[in-house]
Amino acid sequence: MHASVYLPLFIAGLFGLTAPRLALRLPPAAATWLLSVGGLIAAAGAAASLTLLGFTLVAQAQPLAESGHWSITALRHEDPVLAPVAAASIVAVLVLAVRFITVGVRRACALLAAHRLASGLPPVGQELAVLDDPAPRAFAVPGRPGRIAMSTGLLRMLRRDQRRAVLAHERSHLSHRHHLHQTAAVLAAAANPLLYRLPAAVALSVERWADEDAAVTCDRRSVVEALTGIATDTGAPRRSGVILAAGANDVQRRVRALQAPVARLSIWRVALLVGLLVVAVVAVREAAQDTERLFELAQAAYRSAHR
Amino acid sequence: MQTRRPAGGLESEVLAALWAADRPLTPGEVSDAVGGELAYTTVQTILTRLHRKGAVVREQAGRAHAYRPVIDDAGLAAQRMRAMLDRGGDHAAVLTRFVGTLTPDDEATLAKLLGAPAPAPPGDRPADEVDS
Repeated sequence: MHASVYLPLFIAGLFGLTAPRLALRLPPAAATWLLSVGGLIAAAGAAASLTLLGFTLVAQAQPLAESGHWSITALRHEDPVLAPVAAASIVAVLVLAVRFITVGVRRACALLAAHRLASGLPPVGQELAVLDDPAPRAFAVPGRPGRIAMSTGLLRMLRRDQRRAVLAHERSHLSHRHHLHQTAAVLAAAANPLLYRLPAAVALSVERWADEDAAVTCDRRSVVEALTGIATDTGAPRRSGVILAAGANDVQRRVRALQAPVARLSIWRVALLVGLLVVAVVAVREAAQDTERLFELAQAAYRSAHR
Repeated sequence: MQTRRPAGGLESEVLAALWAADRPLTPGEVSDAVGGELAYTTVQTILTRLHRKGAVVREQAGRAHAYRPVIDDAGLAAQRMRAMLDRGGDHAAVLTRFVGTLTPDDEATLAKLLGAPAPAPPGDRPADEVDS
């Protein structure tokens, strides 16, 4: 087997490292799609590589070789994959598969519970569900249809344009199904630790996406104010007490993004990321063909030995 | 500022405005609270629809009706939401949340970003709220 089998692993690492940075400079919708779907492709490529590497060792097991009619000696002779590398690959595939399945099942349960919650929040049939809670809180509950939940504490704190900004922001999360992008990123990171930065990057991207959508519906300043809890309408900024974001770093990035000119779709950045993924897919194909040839050789050897 | 709204979005805004107020509102007051560009009849129609669906309660206020949201709904909604959040882990994670905290330093940085001197010193700001 040639070096191409290792390429998807290398690419997963490169994607995991560069994609979150590049995504910050792309329009949020494009960034989100690239990170989530791209992450899944990168993870799948790496998983395929590990499987191919591991299989060269698994295939040397007597019962498997018997049923597959290939010669173990020929495999051992022709296969350039070192046994320790193959063994490590097997372990990695098993561990990562368990991780992937565990995370996937947990997410699926949570999304199911969210769907139930969305259809059960009173007043039923209404987009907005108000929570009797003095603390300022706002949530997007994914479902069919999804619901927006805002606490009475928050509603009483916001001006009307800020209320509208928050509603528009959360509506964007629901209508673009941002929870599915998040899930894709979490799954990609579970399937490959090299992609561990993707969930946070997607989280930031979808927030930027919703901010931009809110800024289309409402005015940009209202969004920034609702976001930071710092009102600037009177000239000097003053706190209005609500921060509509989960982390300070993210708030700063989001405010910067809202203040900057709308990010343009940079062809070369997209091409770079897409190019990486295409190379990974081609490399997996190459490696699979190599493996096939290897087993054809081993089967030919088996046939001549048993003639 | 004139804005575009999705279908059904107006009902949310009216409901939000009713909750933001601390007393029942007449259609005229709701119209003001949501944004002056809304026609009185539009607000009236939305309020009637919300009332028919049982999302708001109607009271007589002089010659007009005044509307207030249903408190029980919010209590129940808060309870269900709390139950989901209390399960923690992914159950809490799939609910995208929008309220967090900032340190005074972060706040100063943000104020700088917003192009003005730092906001009120930490002493007299309202207590930050974090989701548990």
